This record gives sequence, C-alpha cells and structure tokens, in this order.
Amino acid sequence: MDSADVCPALKVHLLPTGSQTMSQALQALQEEQARLKMRLQELQRNLRDCPQDKVPFPVPESPLVFRGHFEEGKAMAKSVVSHVRICYPLPGGSALVTFDDPNVAKQVLQQKEHQINVEGFRLRVQVQPLELPMLTTIQVSSQMNDQRVLVSGFPAGLKLSEEELLDKLEIFFGKTKNGGGDVEMRELLQGGVMLGFTEDRVAQHLCQMGQFMVPLGKQQSCLRVSPYMSGKIQKAEVRPQPVPQSVLVLNIPDVLDGPELQDVLEIHFQKPTRGGGEVEAVTVVPPGQRGLAVFTSKSG
Amino acid sequence: MSADEDNKEQVLKECEQAEEIMKDKQNQKLISEITKENIQLKEEIKKLEAELQETTRTSQINEDIPETKIKFTSVENPESDSEFSDISYSCQVSSKVPYELQKGQALITFEKEEVAQNVIRMEYHHVQVQNENVMLTANPVSLNSGVKFQVHVGVSKMKINVTDIPDELPESQMRDKLELSFSKSRNGGGEVEYVEYNKQTRSALITFVESGVADKILKMKDYPLYINQNCHRVTVYPYTETHLKKFQVFSGVSKRTVLLTGLKHLQTTDEEVVEDFISIHFQREKNGGGEVEVVKCSLGQPHTAYFEE
Repeated sequence: MDSADVCPALKVHLLPTGSQTMSQALQALQEEQARLKMRLQELQRNLRDCPQDKVPFPVPESPLVFRGHFEEGKAMAKSVVSHVRICYPLPGGSALVTFDDPNVAKQVLQQKEHQINVEGFRLRVQVQPLELPMLTTIQVSSQMNDQRVLVSGFPAGLKLSEEELLDKLEIFFGKTKNGGGDVEMRELLQGGVMLGFTEDRVAQHLCQMGQFMVPLGKQQSCLRVSPYMSGKIQKAEVRPQPVPQSVLVLNIPDVLDGPELQDVLEIHFQKPTRGGGEVEAVTVVPPGQRGLAVFTSKSG
Repeated sequence: MSADEDNKEQVLKECEQAEEIMKDKQNQKLISEITKENIQLKEEIKKLEAELQETTRTSQINEDIPETKIKFTSVENPESDSEFSDISYSCQVSSKVPYELQKGQALITFEKEEVAQNVIRMEYHHVQVQNENVMLTANPVSLNSGVKFQVHVGVSKMKINVTDIPDELPESQMRDKLELSFSKSRNGGGEVEYVEYNKQTRSALITFVESGVADKILKMKDYPLYINQNCHRVTVYPYTETHLKKFQVFSGVSKRTVLLTGLKHLQTTDEEVVEDFISIHFQREKNGGGEVEVVKCSLGQPHTAYFEE
C-alpha cells in the first residue's frame, strides 16, 4: 500500500496509519461528492430553464434589419431603448412653461420669484427647474414560466377588440373540459396572447396538447399553445434628469381663470426685459384642478 | 495455560490487525475512486458554468441607457386619483440580436424586401472587386432570438424611503418621533398618513396625505429627525415601483438583409474598399439588385453585427 499509487491530490488525506483517520477522510470525500452533485443538478436545471440562443419552442417572429451597428469582438447583449414617456402630475395653481431656447429657461430660473403685472395688480409666483426620473440602467433576465403559456396562430383580419379577444380566450382556456383551468392573468403581446394559470400543471398540459380549435367570433380558429418565458428585473436604476427647456411655475394665486391666466403667463415670459423669450407652450392648471403633463423622447 | 492464553491473544491480535489492514485497503480503494469521481464532477460543473454564461448572454438585457432628450408634448386630464400620486415613466426595450460575421463574409441591407429575396434567389453573383473577379453566394441570415418588453416605473409623490435612523428608541416610540418630525412643514414636511418602521434595518417608509410633499423633501438628501433634545439627519430617497409589461421572446427574421460569402481569398484587405465595390454592384438592377442601405464585411477578423427592429 504505497501512497504513490493513489492520486497525488490525495496525499493530504492519506496518512500512513490509523483506519480511523482514513474513514474520516472517506467521509469528507463523500460529503464533498454530495455537494458537487447538488451543484451539478442546480446548473443542469438552470441551463434547462434558461433560454438558449435559439429557443427550443415556437416563438413569434419579428423582422429585424442590419443598420450598420458593427463591432469587433464577441457578441454581447445589447438593446435599444425607445418610446420614453413620462407623465408628471401638475398641482392646482401651477403652470408649465416650455421655451424654444433652453438658455431662456436658464435665465428665467435665475429669479426664484417672478412678479407678473396684470391690469393694475401683481401676481407673485415661484419658478422652479423641472427634473424628471429617467431609467439609466436596466438588467432583465429571462426564465421559463411554468404557469404561463403563449397562445398564437391568430388568423389575419380578426375583427375583435383587445378586450373581446382576451375574454374569449380566457373563457375557452378557463374550462377544464378544454384542458384548461383558472386563469390568473392575461396579456396581449405582439405575436400572441399570454395566459397565466393558478396551477402549474394546467400550463404544462395545454402545451402538451399543443393545438386547439377555439371559437373566435363567427368561426373556429386553430390556435397553438406553447411555453412562455417571462422576464425578471434584476436591476433598474432611475436618476433625475433636467428638462432644460421647461420651467415650473408654482403657487399661482386664484385671481384669474384658465384662458386668461394662460395669456398673462405667456405675455410675461416672452418679455426679454424679464429674461424671457419665445415661448413654445404654456400649460395652466387652475387652482382646485389637476393636470398630467406628458413628456416624450424626441426620437422613436 | 498462560502460554495458551498468550497464544490466543496473539492470534486475536493478528486477526484484528489483518482486519484492519483489509479495512484500510478497502477504504483506500474507495477514497481513490471517490476522489476520481469528484474531479470529474468538478470538470463537468466548470463546463456547465461556462455554457450557462454563454447561453444567457443573448437572452439577458444589461444596458446602461445614455441620456435621452425629452420634451413636453401634451397635457392630459385623467379621471382616476391614482395617476396623480406618482410620476410615471415608461419605455420600450428591445434586444439587438447579434450575428457573428466570419472572415470572408459580408452583410448587405436593401431598402426593399423583394430585392433582397431576389438576390437570394439568384444565389450566385459575379462581382468585380478592384482587379479581382469573385463569385459571391447570397444566403438568408439565420438569426437568434431576442426579447422585448416595456418598463414601467412609478416614482411616488406621496411616499418616501428613510434610512440611517438611529436605533435609540423602542419601535412604537420611534414611529411616533418619525411621524412628528416628518409632519413639520417648516422643515418641508406635511401631514403624515402612515409610517412603516423597521427597527432592524433602521429604515422606514412614510406615506403623506398630500401628493407633492415627497418631492419637496427629496430635494434635500437628508431630513432632520428630532429625538428628545437631539436632531439626527436621516437619509431620504424616493420610493419607486418598477415592473415589466408585454414581455416577449421573439425569433429574429431578416427580410431585407442578405449574407454574402466568398470573400475569404481576396487580395484586397481594405474592408471599406470592398464594401464600396459590393454596394455599387448590388445597386444595379441589371445585377438583380436595388437601392442599398448598408454593406459591411469582415476580411481580417470576425466582427459582430447587431440586428434591430
């Protein structure tokens, strides 16, 4: 029994005497093996759950174009962010003034308080810069969702509204006689409809069955049911970003009604003597009312 | 007699020793087997870990979004109260599907789908590139899958997160102190609807009665909390809720972009020159082409091209 004929890594375990120490060593190794096996199973499960580059089940197609985005090196996960839309609540007694030139807005903001002359009296208002929350980082991972399915294969020219279509699908797939079950959620997507069930096995069963004749309006349509991958936010960071062309006007006293107030503000903020300039838009929310100002990204 | 006993003892000892040697031999065998197995397992684990990294690469979104210009567009008057309690942000995120362009390959995007389909149908194209005559083969581009979804964020105008709260008082007393301090309008506070306090994490969530109080407080990084005679500055930050909508995996299909192969043995190594020649050739209708939008080729080393909507 020479220690040399055992793997060199074992030298640390192997002691020349004492079967007790040997059985301890054996136990340690067996424990390590159990741990390694668990880790292997976990990885195998993750790999199965994680979508491959080409997913092994049908997904809707989306036409893509190469527009010239070309890089050296290996492929990285990249994405496009578009259609940014922000809704900002405006309190009663406030206004949003948007200038053509951001420098004018800057000038106007140099004075925190503005005095607006109206027919013999003065309106005292406050001006503030506007900052809006913008998404600066997003990390999303995808994984198989055992409770959800994707329904696809809808015929072209279907004359149903979104609500009607979702209702009909929920009714059909909510019935156990069709192989379905309690529908927990539903969502219209570009390539189909996602249905979520309260019980896992319903989704699995429907995917196995695969095809269904579903009444949609006047005819029956052959629809396909396939597995659905859902997304999970791993990280989302939001940072305030200034809106350089716009200025918030606050604490407007309740002396004028809407249209008049709008004119008065526009005139005041256009006066170069007040540091103003060309006004692109004025939105007024009279005291006692509320409004939602909508901001969108210039492109997309 | 004692000699007999001695003998017995001797035999027993020898038996025991033999047993021990047997056991040791068995154990040693097991140890070496298990060690080998463990090494194999470790190798398999490493392989799977690498594979996992590879496959999740393209189905994950990991993006640092550069500053986007936003402008006022319109004003709305919704009915429900809930739309006024948050500043809501939404956007669409869509994968750019990568395609690895090998050496000797090129991608060409046509303005019209029919032109691209025609070029693929013709399959072989004799193209003049500088002084050389090359035969290029046109094929469709096989793309991987990507994901697209909407991100919705609500930044509350009525709630704020508070942290770095000193752990000096019992729970209900601290809750009261928080309510008192955050309702002081002279410090920027307002009437408090509800306080959720977590003594363990030293943090709290304060809900105000009126919308807009949160914004005022958040203009400062911290806020004064009065405990008996002392004033502590606690940290305040926005309360946001983020969720995804319309999440969908899609399979990329290239309708206007065509893969060209056959440039491997070109003498010219200048990619731009080659791209120009290809573009000129495929602009001509008599060559089966049409209006060309983009041409990119890989000559010296592979590149990654990104396909988008």
